[in-house]
Order: sequence, then structure tokens, then C-alpha cells
Amino acid sequence: MPKLSALFPLLFSLSALPLLSEEGPLKAIMPEAHAKVFKTYCYDCHDAFSEEGNVNLEDIPFDMGKDIPTAALWQKILDAVNSGEMPPHDEKQIAPEHKTAFLEDLSVQIVNARKILTDNGGVITMRRLNRREYSNTIEALLGVTPDVSNLPADEADHGFDTAGASLFFSPDQLEQYLSTAKDSLKLSMMGERKTSPHKQRIEPEIEANERHSTTLASYKERLSRANAYLSQKEKPPSAFGFLDKTQIRKTKLNTTNWSIQLEDYLKRPETKTGATSIQTIKGGGMQRTRLKPLGHKNEGKYIIRVRAGAYPEAIERLKYLEFSRKLDGSQSTERLGWRKIYGTVENPEIIEFIVDHPPNQRMSYMVSPRTHQGRGDKNLWTLNFYKNGYGTIPGSWIDWVEIEGPITDQEKPASVPEMLFEKPQDWSTEKYAKEVLKRFATRAFRTEKPSEEYLEKLYAQFTTEREKGQKVSQALISPLAIILTSPNFLYMVESSGSQGLLSPQELAVRLSFFLWSSPPDEELFARANDGTLTDPTILAAQTKRLLADPRADRFIESFTHQWLEMARLDMFEFKASLHSKFDNATRESAREEIYATIRLMLEEKTPLKTLLDSDFVVINDVLADFYGLKNVKGSHFRKVTLPKDSPRGGLLGTAAVLAMGSDGVRSSPVERGAWVLRHLLNDPPPPAPANVPQLNRLEDKVLSARELQKAHMEEPQCAQCHNKIDPIGYGLENFTASGAWRNEESILVGNGFMTQKFKKFPIDPAGKLRDGTPFQNFGELKKIIATRGDDFTQGFTEALIAYGLGRPYGFTDYDLAAEILKKSAQNDNTIDAFIQALVQSKQFQTK
Amino acid sequence: MTPKSQTRRAFLHSSKALVALPFLESLGLAKTVTATAAAAPKRMVYLGMGFGVTADTWYPDLKEVGAGYAFPKILKPLAKHQDDLTFIQNLEHQFSNDGHSGSTFWLTGANRYAIAGQSFHNTISADQVAAEYLGKDTRFTSIQLASKSSGSNADGHGPGLSLAWNKHGKPVSALNTPVAAFHRLFSDETMPLEQRQKLLNEQRSVLDTVLSDARSVNRKINKGDADKLDEYFQSIREIEIRLAKEEQWLEVPKKMPNPALKTPEESMEGVEEMRMMFDIMFAAMQVDATRVLSYRMPVNSVISSLGSEISAHSMSHYSSGERRQVSEMRDRTNAKVLADFIDKLKASKEPNGTSLFDNSTVTMGSNLRSVHSLGNCPTIVTGGGSGIKHGRHLVMRDKKTPLCNLWLSQLQGSGIDVKSHGDSTGNIPELFEA
Repeated sequence: MPKLSALFPLLFSLSALPLLSEEGPLKAIMPEAHAKVFKTYCYDCHDAFSEEGNVNLEDIPFDMGKDIPTAALWQKILDAVNSGEMPPHDEKQIAPEHKTAFLEDLSVQIVNARKILTDNGGVITMRRLNRREYSNTIEALLGVTPDVSNLPADEADHGFDTAGASLFFSPDQLEQYLSTAKDSLKLSMMGERKTSPHKQRIEPEIEANERHSTTLASYKERLSRANAYLSQKEKPPSAFGFLDKTQIRKTKLNTTNWSIQLEDYLKRPETKTGATSIQTIKGGGMQRTRLKPLGHKNEGKYIIRVRAGAYPEAIERLKYLEFSRKLDGSQSTERLGWRKIYGTVENPEIIEFIVDHPPNQRMSYMVSPRTHQGRGDKNLWTLNFYKNGYGTIPGSWIDWVEIEGPITDQEKPASVPEMLFEKPQDWSTEKYAKEVLKRFATRAFRTEKPSEEYLEKLYAQFTTEREKGQKVSQALISPLAIILTSPNFLYMVESSGSQGLLSPQELAVRLSFFLWSSPPDEELFARANDGTLTDPTILAAQTKRLLADPRADRFIESFTHQWLEMARLDMFEFKASLHSKFDNATRESAREEIYATIRLMLEEKTPLKTLLDSDFVVINDVLADFYGLKNVKGSHFRKVTLPKDSPRGGLLGTAAVLAMGSDGVRSSPVERGAWVLRHLLNDPPPPAPANVPQLNRLEDKVLSARELQKAHMEEPQCAQCHNKIDPIGYGLENFTASGAWRNEESILVGNGFMTQKFKKFPIDPAGKLRDGTPFQNFGELKKIIATRGDDFTQGFTEALIAYGLGRPYGFTDYDLAAEILKKSAQNDNTIDAFIQALVQSKQFQTK
Repeated sequence: MTPKSQTRRAFLHSSKALVALPFLESLGLAKTVTATAAAAPKRMVYLGMGFGVTADTWYPDLKEVGAGYAFPKILKPLAKHQDDLTFIQNLEHQFSNDGHSGSTFWLTGANRYAIAGQSFHNTISADQVAAEYLGKDTRFTSIQLASKSSGSNADGHGPGLSLAWNKHGKPVSALNTPVAAFHRLFSDETMPLEQRQKLLNEQRSVLDTVLSDARSVNRKINKGDADKLDEYFQSIREIEIRLAKEEQWLEVPKKMPNPALKTPEESMEGVEEMRMMFDIMFAAMQVDATRVLSYRMPVNSVISSLGSEISAHSMSHYSSGERRQVSEMRDRTNAKVLADFIDKLKASKEPNGTSLFDNSTVTMGSNLRSVHSLGNCPTIVTGGGSGIKHGRHLVMRDKKTPLCNLWLSQLQGSGIDVKSHGDSTGNIPELFEA
């Protein structure tokens, strides 16, 4: 394929671009057959003569990728037909089969037109460090994690956060970079601070018993007032301290109900020496044992020990401890992890959990049972109460909680002495400061030497600070922070060398940001500086080394999260009353399962298509409980071989993927079908059109998910896409909204919260793929999709190119994708083979 | 492209000249009264609602146009101001086709795909056009507010940092918490004047230093990358303009309204945070700290602070039941805060005897109607600042009347000399006809 000049892409008229690939050029041509639709239904108003609304369809070019105005006109036509605006209601309507065919072609071709018109010919725009990369880079330089919450998140709504053209820069950002850098430098200069040992133990029963007794007493008191009112007829509610009768009725009911658990609690022998983890509606909510906060100067690793036991009769979910922490003054809790309790109340065990307390922050650490989002736990308690007259049966008991640390000597960040190296005796302060600034700027700039003029200006900053009476190290903070705000640091600068080839240093930077989201380490720079990095063997060896490093987790997590659009996992709150097992622990473990699977595949060199079907899963104890798998002990993720009849194995069987295909209440065959098309079959449906009339006809009817989708087939504008999307989703209907297996669909009916009436529907999992291939059930669907490994690897390759090169995948990349696919196939299609092939490609090594 | 090194100083110089002396303060209040007895300054306030509204209950009945229409029941708190506000239906942006972006193009009307080879493009927002004219005489050219507690995606606002986009089509950032907004607008520097002057000079020298590095980078990159780096240069220039303005205002202490606003708490979230932001906007208008304000209102944290268990996105896909209830609760809450805001504006007198309300143009709306619908954008306009005749329900005859025609009408009505905005085709004469 002729290489487009990277330098002057905008000087070419886009329609003249050489768009050839093996499949021929990408075109966006509306089949001429549809001219009939125009002739029959539109020309009355929109011909060259009438041109109503300034729209003339007689002369419209059918090549809609021709230019932006043409594409825009076709978009208008698409919108007008989709929204039902055209043809007008009092005119002849397009026959459904013609309308479906017309919209089907148009919606696909408009996507192609957008691809053609937004393609920039493979140019990689210089990219600013995105927020993750900025944070990692500061950490690599200073050994401290900066607080980046004030910087823009940089997550794209489509595509990746590495796309340079989409990473903007605004004035406020400049100021935020400066202040973030100053804070980080100050923090890093405290590196040597000795933290004093800290140990505390909390006996939770002291606080819990006091609280529960007080609550119970207040219930009793209010109940007696309510009863006093009810036993007479003369005095009004206000005489008893109530607003009205309704409040009295509610008080009587609630205090009676809520007291049962508390009375039992206070009678239990084990609550004399520890705290049973109950849930209350008022008076504390979920039992949380809160340690006294660790302060600003307590940074380091701490060990939390909990002496705890589980109640055998409780559900599995509640036999875990949830470790969390909360910033002083903040409302939101950060969950740190979960540990299952195997001891009992009679024979408690001591569970250990390590936490890393950051410097300059005051936080409380807490231990509680597993939680749901929002009011989920309270709602569940109430439901349980109406079933068992008690409430949620507690699952754990805690004797005590202690924290001790820091457990190892604080490791001094390696970069601090390097930055503020010891001043040689015979150096003047000026010489020293200049050398500090020069060395730091050189390191921060990665590939470029700072200019003399720039260094002079930095030094002037230093002298200004010195004149204010600052110590040398303090006076260096301002100029050092300026370095971390300068373009050579903030942007991945790539000069255009001979034939656009990257310099070895630039290549090292691109490689390490690809796999580590942070700058090269010493070794990688050494290979760049001695010039060997451009040797394909050395480059391959370095790629392998980077992938084996723990920092490659950043690639695994960021790439996978964006590739599979996993942000959707947090978009909806799961209704706890319907999906009680899908709590915070399950949701967060489900996300981690996907990453852990990719990590294991990298380590074990498993072929990529294992993600379509496998006889194992990579899970922890939380997910083993959720999936109903036995003998998985411990919170670490590990490979577990599946029993023959298990529906799990492969992305389609994971809780994360299935849960993303729901709205937190019901499963969505549409979302699931579209996800399969986008991410497994590399056949993304056109974006959901805006302004399509909502299908309200079935709004108040109680129907199965499958039955609901049928409404899509009634309107041609819906049918044209949904007849390809929904039937795939039907094959996944044996999974609930949260990804648990089900044999029938239960739908909550009516508004009665306590009664929880369900209507049940049998599940019909039969469907067909877009090309018509039928399947009878989930197992068959998975098997068929597993045979489409080529489509899947193509999609993966496109995503990898976009993420790694820092620009959207364009049709100019067909050849590159083909080359990567070919090379990877020779290496068993392992994930690292794709990465290696991309790194070895010309595009990766060229500006 | 012009070489940056030469234009920067010149630009800075001219921008200094452009920044007028603080008008009210420098003349003294007594003189101000006589000088401005005829015309109090105009204000513009834009309030963006992200994921739209509950479409079938939020709008007045299409059949009841003009005055005396039945006020939508779910907006009851706002009904008392019926005579002083206008509902406008059938406004939309022709280029919008992203069903999750209620704010990105709301004030701009841009075509995301207008530039070949780019997948995102935007243009200047109406508030920033207004700021260029109305912001000259105030300490803050414009103030943008948003919410930190919920990302833009969670609230249906779409890409961007606030409702505002600068003249290069780049996002303008916002003050994201009541505390930050409060301090920026009202907290006086405790530092002595001389030291503050010094600090300004230091900030300039910081800019000068990073500029030196930017020039080094610029020398070795290709044209495409230089266009990207231009964002950095533009940022430097904008900060310089801001510093020049700060210098002009250095000796003028910030003003606090009487009675003083209480310092907000750090932990404010949801509806409490939103109310506080409205109080801050009002206070800023009272002391004339700025005349152009925009607020990208929180959605997710608001409904959850009101007891909702579902996310804003779930809510936006309302059908019957809980989601609809939450959706309508959100509408009522927004109506209530707007009604309170109007009350305060009406009660606040200007030196010439008119009220702040008489001189302001306040718009509440979104590019999203509801769910993924982008037609007939929800729009309520209030305030007398641009001469709109209120008390009516206007339904545009053309169902695709550009929303930018409204922005243009408001700008022109506020005395700003602009011929067009975004894809406007003209102003909306009905707004001004009785």
C-alpha cells in the first residue's frame, strides 16, 4: 500500500487518499437500488424543482464518504426516517420491507463514511501524558503517588485514553500541574522521615453494646409512648410527642420489629466478649469496627489482625470480612479487600490483612461484613425480617481488631537521593543547584536535553526563592515543579527524524508507555543509548522483560478495561433485593477476574481465543462462591478447572460481562447482543440512533425480556438492527442481570416491597447469529462463537493498535493488522505474540 | 501559524490595554449610581441539566401556547414565576447525534465531525461569547461551576469540563466544589499588596520559563504536532491575560455580600451542594464579581442525596415505577432551586432601582430531552436582561429551529453585537413580541 506522507496529511483532498487494502478500498456507497425509495416517497417535495427544506434528493451523491456535507445530508436523512419525521404522517409511508432495507444499508454506510472522513491517514498526534501516565511518571521520578483528582480524567467515551488528538490542554490544567508537582515534590522530600511505631487494638463490644442498648432503650421508650396514646382516647398525638396518628402507627410497628434483633443480640453470650456483625436500620446500620485513624505522619505498611469467627448457619456471603478505609471528612468509603472466615465463634481464627497507608493523609480503617451499594443492605434486612421475623441472620463475630506497623522499615524512594544528591564539598551552591536542575530536567524530559536558556530561567527561579530566605532544598521545589509542568515533560515529544523513524530513545519511551504507562527504566534507556534497541532481537527481549514486570499490570488493566468497555460495570447500581449475591465484593472481584485471566494467559502463553471458551476460570474465593465452585480457599486469583457441566469458562461466562449486559435489575438481550457483536465478533452494530420514538406500548405489561424485545421488530427503524442484535442476547438469557445461572426468569410485579411477588417465565435461549447460524441454547452459542476466533483476534488487534499507537484504528491500518495477525498466527496467537508483532512493526517505530 | 515568540508580548500588551479599570469600584458607588442610572449591567446565567427531563410531564401541553397555559404539574415549585419565564419548544441542534451528551454542544451547536481527520471538534459556547463583552468590567470575566462528586459521564453531560468552550473550541474548566468557588470569588488574600504584586511577577516568570521549553519543543516537531502544542501556547496566553486582569484588580478587595455567605463545608454533596452553588452564583451577581455564569449541574449525586437507589443513567431510561418517580423528583428539585434563585434575583435591587432579575438572562436546559432524544431540547428562559416577553409557552413552528437562534437572540437582546452564533439562522422574533 502506498505510504501516505505523514507530514502533510491535510493537504490531500481526502477523497483522493489511496484507501486500498487487501479487501479493496473502504467505501461508503449507498446501493443505487434505494434511489427507488427516493423516487417513490420523497421526490414530491425533495426534487430539484421543489427542494423543500432546502433538501434536493435528485442530485444527492450516493458516495456518502465523498465529503462532509454529503455525509451530513445522509445523516439528516437517516435521522429523519429513524425518528419517523419523514415521510410526513399525511404522506405515503415507505413499505416496511423497503424501509428496513433502506435503513439497514444507510446506517452501515454512514458509519463507513465517518470512518473515511475522520481517518487521518495514520498520523500519530503528539500526545500529552494522560492522567494515569502522569501519575505513574511522577511516581517513577519522585517515589510518591501524586493526588491527581484535580486533573481531567482523560477517559474517552469511545476509544482509548492514549489517543493523542483527543488529549486536550487547558489553562487551568497548567496551573494544576504546577501545584500537583509542588505537592509531590514536598512529599518526596520528606522521604527520610521516620515514622514512629503504632499499635492499637479495638474491642468492638464496648462500643457496640453501648450503642445497641441505647437504641433498644429508645425503641422501648417510643413504643411505650405510642402504646400510651393508643390506650386512651382524649389526648391528641402531640401530647405524647408525636406528629400524627400515622407516625404513631409506624413507630409501634418499627420499634416492635427492630427490637427483636437487638434484644436477642444483647442476650447472646458471645456479645459479652466480642461483636456480632448485625445490620440495623437505625442506630449504626452495618456493624463496622472502626480503628482510630492513622495520621499524616504514619505512612507505611500496616498489618490489620482480626480475631473472628463465622456462624455456620449463615449464608456464605456473610462469612467474610470486608476491609475498607475512609478519608477523614469524606463520605465515601474505599474498599480494600475481603477475607473469608473459617474459624467459628467457639474457635475463632486470627485473620491478617496488610494495608498501605499513604503519607500526608488521615484515614480510618474499618472491618465489616460484605456490603452492597446504597441502601441495599437495609432493604435486604427488611425483606429478611418479613420472611423470618428477625432480619438478616448475622454471619460473623469479631473478638477484637488490631493494627500494627509500619511493618517494614520505610523504603526510601530511590529517586530522592538521585534528585537531591549530596553536594560535593568544593561545589558552590550555584553549581550544585544548577546541576540538580539539569540532571532532573534531563531525566524528566526522557529523550531531550533541556536548553541552556531554559536552565538559566530555572536557576533564576531558584535564586528568587533563595532571596526569600528558603533553604536550598526548599528553594529547589519551585524550579523542579516548573520542570514537571513543561512541555518536554508533559508531552511525549517525537521529532521527525530520517524517514520518520523514531530515535532509539523515542522508541524506548513509546514502548514503556505502551506496556507500563510510565517512562523507561534504566535498563531500557541503556539499550536505547547504546543503540541496540533498534535490533529486532534486543527489542523483542526488552518487550518480553517489560511484559514480565509487575508494571505490565497497568497495560493489562487499562487496555482491557477500555477494550471491553468495562466502565459499564459501574454504570448501574444492582438492586440488592433481587441480586443479593452480587454485592461490592462480587462486582469488584468480577472485574478483577477479567484482568487476572489475561494476566494468566500472558504468563502461560495461552492462545487468545481461550477467551471465547475454556475449561478453566481464574477466580478467588468470592467468585467461587458466586459461581458455585468448591474448594477455592483464599482471596488470591488462581486457575480453577471447571466441572464438565459448568456454563463458565470464556468471557461469555463471566459475571462481569453478563452483568454489563443489564441495567442492574433485568438482563438486557440488546446490550449483551451488541457487546458480543462489538467485542467478540468484531461486527459492531451502528450506534443507537437518537430520537427514535420510544416503544411505550408494552411499558406497563409484565413480559419476559425476550417478549419485550419483540416490540423492536414492529418498527422497521428498530428491526433493521435489532434483528441482528437481540437474537444473540437470547442465548444469554439463562443468566440473571448479575450473571447468576437461572432456569426461569422471575420478574418482580407490583409495588409491594415486602410481599415480593414474582411472575415467572420459562427461558427460551434459542436464537441466531447475524449471518443466520442458529443455536438452541447458551452452550451452542458459545461453541459457535468459539469457532469465530478470526473475527475475535481481528477485533483485538485493532484495539491493540489503537491503544499502542495512540490514535484510533483507521482503515489505513488494514495492512498493519494483517501483518500482526499473520505473525501472531505463527506464534500460536498468544497475547504476547500480538504485542511483539505490533512493537516490531514499522508503524510502531515510526513517527 | 504566527511565531509565538513575537506575538506573545505584543498580545499581552494589547490585552492589558483591553482590560478596563474596575468600573464600579474605581468610580465609587455614588458616581456609579448617576453614571449607570439608565442602564444596569446585563448578566447571563446558563444552567445545564445533563440527562434532560421527564419528557412527557415536564413540557407544557403543545396545544396550549401563549399566555395562560397550564403549568406542568411536576414543576409546581416554579409555577409562582409563570409570568416571568418562558418555555420554548422545538429547539434543537442539527448536528447532535450523541445520546449521552447533554452539555458538550449545548451552548455551542457545533458539528463534532466538522473537521476532516478529526473525531472531535467543538466551537465557542454562548456564555464565552457573552463573557468577552460583559466580562470586561468585572474581576472575573466569567465563572464556570460544575460538580466534582459525579463525573460528566455519570450525569449525562458528555465530554468537557464545564458548559463552557473557549474560542478555540477547547474545554474551559470549572470550579468543582462550593468551597473552591467560595474562595475564588469571595475570600480575600491575607497577603500584603506588595507581596501579591511579587507573586504575580513570579507567576509570569514561571510562564516565561515553560514558554522557553515550549519553544524548544516547537522547533523539532512536525506541523501536526505543532498544532497540538498550540493548545499549550494558547494556555500560556490565556493565563497571561488573566494575570494582567488580576493586576488591574490587585488593589481592589474582593467583596462579600451583606449578609455574608457562610463558608461552605468540604463534604457537601448532592442537593445540598447544588443549593450552595446557586447561593454562590447569586452572591457573585450581587457583588458584581462576574456577569457571566454557567453551572453544569450534578445529577447522580443529587438524586442519591434525595434517597434514590438508582443511578442517574438508570433514571434517564425511565419507564414506569421507581425510575419515573426518581426522574420526576429530579425535575421538581431543579424547579425548586431555580424558583428560589429567581426569588432572590427579584429581591435584589440594583443602584438604579431595577432588580438583578430585570437585568439577567437565565436559561435552564439541556441538549438531551430524555433517554437518548436530542430533538425539542428542554428550555426554560427567565429574567428581563435580554428583553424577552415572558409569561408564555412558545412552540416554534419549525420543529428544527436551531437552539443557537435562542443563544443569538439572548446575546443580541443583551446588547452584544454578534451577527450569528454556531449554526444560527437568525434570532427568534417571537421572543420579543408581546
